[in-house]
Parts: sequence; C-alpha cells; structure tokens
Amino acid sequence: MQAFSFSSAPLEPGRYHAGIEDPAAGGYASFEGWVRDHNEGRTVERLEYEAFESLAVKEGERIVAEAVAKFGVTRAACVHRVGSLAIGDLAVWVGVSSAHRGEAFAACRYIIDEVKHRVPIWKKEHYTDGDSGWVNCERCAAAAHAHEHAHLHATGDFASHGHEHAAAVQHDYSRQIALPEVGRAGQAKLAAASVLVVGAGGLGVPVLQYLAAAGIGRIGIVDGDVIEASNLHRQPLYGIADVGRPKVAVAAERLHALNSDVRIETHETKATVENVDGLVKNFDLVVECTDNFRAKFLVSDAVVRALKPAVFASVHQYEGQVQVYRPLPHWPCLRCLWPEAPRDGMVGNCAEAGVLGPVPATLGALQAMQVLKRLLGLDAGEAPALVTVDLLSLETRRLIARRNPACDHDQPGEPAGVEGTSAPLELEFATLAEAFESGLELVDIRETWERMHDPPGLQIPTHLPLSALVNGYLQFPTEGRYLIVCAHGVRSLSVTEQLRAQGLAEVFSLKGGLAALRS
Amino acid sequence: MNRIEIQYFAVLRERAGTGRETVETAAATAAELYDELATRHDFGLPRGMLRVAVNDEFADWSRPLAAGDRVVFIPPVAGG
Repeated sequence: MQAFSFSSAPLEPGRYHAGIEDPAAGGYASFEGWVRDHNEGRTVERLEYEAFESLAVKEGERIVAEAVAKFGVTRAACVHRVGSLAIGDLAVWVGVSSAHRGEAFAACRYIIDEVKHRVPIWKKEHYTDGDSGWVNCERCAAAAHAHEHAHLHATGDFASHGHEHAAAVQHDYSRQIALPEVGRAGQAKLAAASVLVVGAGGLGVPVLQYLAAAGIGRIGIVDGDVIEASNLHRQPLYGIADVGRPKVAVAAERLHALNSDVRIETHETKATVENVDGLVKNFDLVVECTDNFRAKFLVSDAVVRALKPAVFASVHQYEGQVQVYRPLPHWPCLRCLWPEAPRDGMVGNCAEAGVLGPVPATLGALQAMQVLKRLLGLDAGEAPALVTVDLLSLETRRLIARRNPACDHDQPGEPAGVEGTSAPLELEFATLAEAFESGLELVDIRETWERMHDPPGLQIPTHLPLSALVNGYLQFPTEGRYLIVCAHGVRSLSVTEQLRAQGLAEVFSLKGGLAALRS
Repeated sequence: MNRIEIQYFAVLRERAGTGRETVETAAATAAELYDELATRHDFGLPRGMLRVAVNDEFADWSRPLAAGDRVVFIPPVAGG
C-alpha cells in the first residue's frame, strides 16, 4: 500500500492491516483518530477535511519514511480522510509493523504527531448552533498564516480555500516599514541585500530568523554540522525530530516556511581556507556566528580581503561580545584587536563551558540588529568598538577600539614550530578500536562531565582535562607518542599544535573528535 | 597607591570569583596591575592573550594608571 494517502470514502483499517503485514514483524501498533462531538467547549455535529493533496501526500510520505528510518520498523503507512465526516467516523489511521513493540509504538506516535503538525490539512467544524469554523490547521499556525486563514474562513470560500491559502498570503512588513527611518525605500534595500551567515548554531539561529523575517533578499547559510539533542536548548529553530539532520537543511526549511520571499542558499560545510573567499565574495555582508577562533579569524581575514562589512559575536557562559567590521581605513579587524590569535580550547566555547540559551539568543539578536542598521544606513557616525554584554548584571560596555598600525589584517601568523613540520596534525580513524591499535597513546582532554555518558567499553583510560592543562594543574608529558581526543576535534587540534610547538613531534589530533567516530 | 576599579570577563571572572572589584595598588601600568592580580587570583591566561581597556577605551599594556581609572580585562571569547 502507499505510505501515505487520502481517502474520500470511509476508512477501513481491516483492509490496511494486510498492507503492512510482514513475516519479519513480531507485532503491529495502530492509531485511529476519530471525530469527537466537542471542541473548545462547543458541540460539534460533523466536520469537513480538506487537504492540499499534491503537497500533503509528499510531506506525508516523507514523514512515514522518516519514521521507518528513525525507529527501524518493518512497515508503516498512514491514511487520512477528506470530505464530510460524522461523529465517530475515522479521520486518520496509522499502522506500523515491527520486530518489537517499543519501536512500533514510537513510530506510530511519531507519524501521527508529525502529520498533525506538518501536513497541510484543514478541518471545518459544524456546530449544533448552526455555526461553523475552520480549525486546527497546525501547519498554518506554524507558518504564521493564522490571520489570513481566519479571513478566508469568514468568506466561506471552501472550494478554493486550500489553494488560496498556499498561494496568496504575503509576508507583511508594515510594522517595520512604519518606522520613518525604514519606510518603503528601506524595505527595498533589505530586499536587494544579500547576507552570508557562517554558523547556524546558538548565535546563527536568531540571526537567520530575524534576517529572514525582515525580508533580506538572499541569505547564505554555512554550517557543516548535524543537529544534536544538546544543541536544542539554545537553537530552538530545530526540534527533537531533527536530531541527526544537517543544520543547513532544517534551517532552510524553517526559514522558507517563515518567509518564502527570501532566497536561501545552503552550504553544508565548515568555512575553510579553501572555500571562505569564494563564499564571502557573493554576499554584501557577512555575519560570523561560529563557536571557534579558527573560523572567526578565517572569516575576518576573508572580509578584509574582500572589503565587505561583517558582524562578529561570541558568547561565554553569561556574557558575550559583539564587534562590527567595516572596510574603512580606521576600522579594526579581528586581528587588530587580538594580535596573538587565540587558540581554541584556551577559553571555553558553549559545548565545553556551558551556556544558557538566551545568552547566544541575545547576542545573535544584537548581530541581526547591527546587520539591519548597516543595510539601512542607520549606523552613521558610529565609532568602531567592541561591545560587551553581561546577562547576569545586565551591564553593557562599549569599548572604543582602534586600528592596530602593526596589524597585517589578513595575514595569519603561523604559530612558531608548527610551520615546516611535515607530519600531519590530524589523523582519521573509523573506530576507537582502530585508534587504540595505532600504537599511539590516546589522551582524552574532555572535561570530566563530558565523559560521564561514554558507553562502557569505549572509555579512554588516560584523562587530562583541558581546563587542568590550561590552568597548570596538570602537565603534559614531555615525551611519548600521543593521539589527543576531544568531542569534535577542535580542542584536540589546538592542544596538538601547542605540543608540537613545544617540541613533541609524535603527537596527533583525532580528526573530527569522537563525534566523527560514532558516525 | 591608586584606587582602581576593575572589571573581569569570561574565564577571568570565573577565576577571580567576582565580576568586579576595587583595589588599592602601587602598579604604575596596566601590565603591572594585571601581573599583580594574576598572582593574587591565580589567572592561568598569559597577558599576551588578553586585551585591556582603560576608561572604556582599548589601551596598550604600557598605559600609565591614575587614581579612579576603570580598568577592564577582556579575554577573547569564542562560543556561539
């Protein structure tokens, strides 16, 4: 049977049952949605369902495929009614067969929840008092189309409802156009602008949301990561069902649903020495939202070379910093401020040091505001500065920064001792067992709390937490052959560079960290 | 001795256990002041990795200090 279909005739679960039978299945779980006689305190007599079928079937099939892949079940299907239904009629049927019951229940739950949330189906309730109303188009609510929806319902134009809904709604910029400094001319400037957002994490999420909502014409997103469950508390653009999917793909979907006026370009990659100039040159402005110095300096160097403005931000626990770069003679770049490019791992990032979600959200919103100011020309007379924000004391500080006459601006100085070393800094292994067999001693530099959830049998006995190394409580041995390991390979690379610079020749960093092994 | 208002950020705040303090110091420059405080609070970060701002403006480490100056030590921050 089809993974997802609509039926204008009454649903027949007995018949669908045969469609998901399989010799490998040890059981079957099903959900039936029925028409009930009340909603929000009103008595319902009957109801009508309408779907935007071409779109809805595709989305429904995608949901069923996701459930099969995510929970490893044998077969799954969903049938949804359209047309006029009476109390007690079946509105939707979901069936899942599986080797074990746990996966079957979970997949069944996933399918019905996602269908209700994502598939464009409208429900019109007819009440006993003769009134009727369109309700429960959760997808519309999610896409912030509720206003137009109510309007269509008032016209009672049932036949064209779904299609009008999908095609006619326009994003409404009236509340920002109303500002005298913005106006229609300002809105046109935003629509003509292109912005590259590097990093779609805690800072990137609010930047992307507010820039897309404001009607920036074209937005590029650069991020090579997939969504992890531990990201969600500070990246609520994503949901638990998105875990494991690429950030750029999910962000593009959500931003398109928010404002389809905006052209979204995705680049599923980290910013690298090889790609950064090519990316930056195609945009008017760059927003740097990554969580590591390597990327921040890479982007700073690229915008200096390309003469593009950029907005940088970083957070640490309860505080953050914002810096705007403009390609003007007296404006400092990141290297002017930090002549000795800091190494990742010397000061914590969010994954290592911990952070509350609203901290990157605040700093990201500040970045989005700086972007709009620049594009709208509202930053006239602003002097270059580093702005610090402390979310505990709610203090902000504007520290005037100047161009450093000694700065080469876009010429990174290689750390002493690393240049000319022929051995690669990073090594790749498929599994931890392979790494152990390499003959190198594995050293785990993660913090103690990060090791707590390591699966049994996959623990690394030698543990030198980076915080203890940085603070000098522990010393790294001065000889030996080591493979430095951390969660994602950023901190370990930094430590490896430092150890090489100190003369330790046979020390390597596990490329991509433990996260790369598991995948 | 000068009375100086000091503010710390990020890892320095954690190490000092406070975001701000006022000290009486004989330190003549920003560098001397940091070295004095680094000893007292056991700061692990070398001065070369930090920036100092005096009275809301980034300054050189050799900048002389005067009574009532507001000094901010800023480590680079990478999180996002």
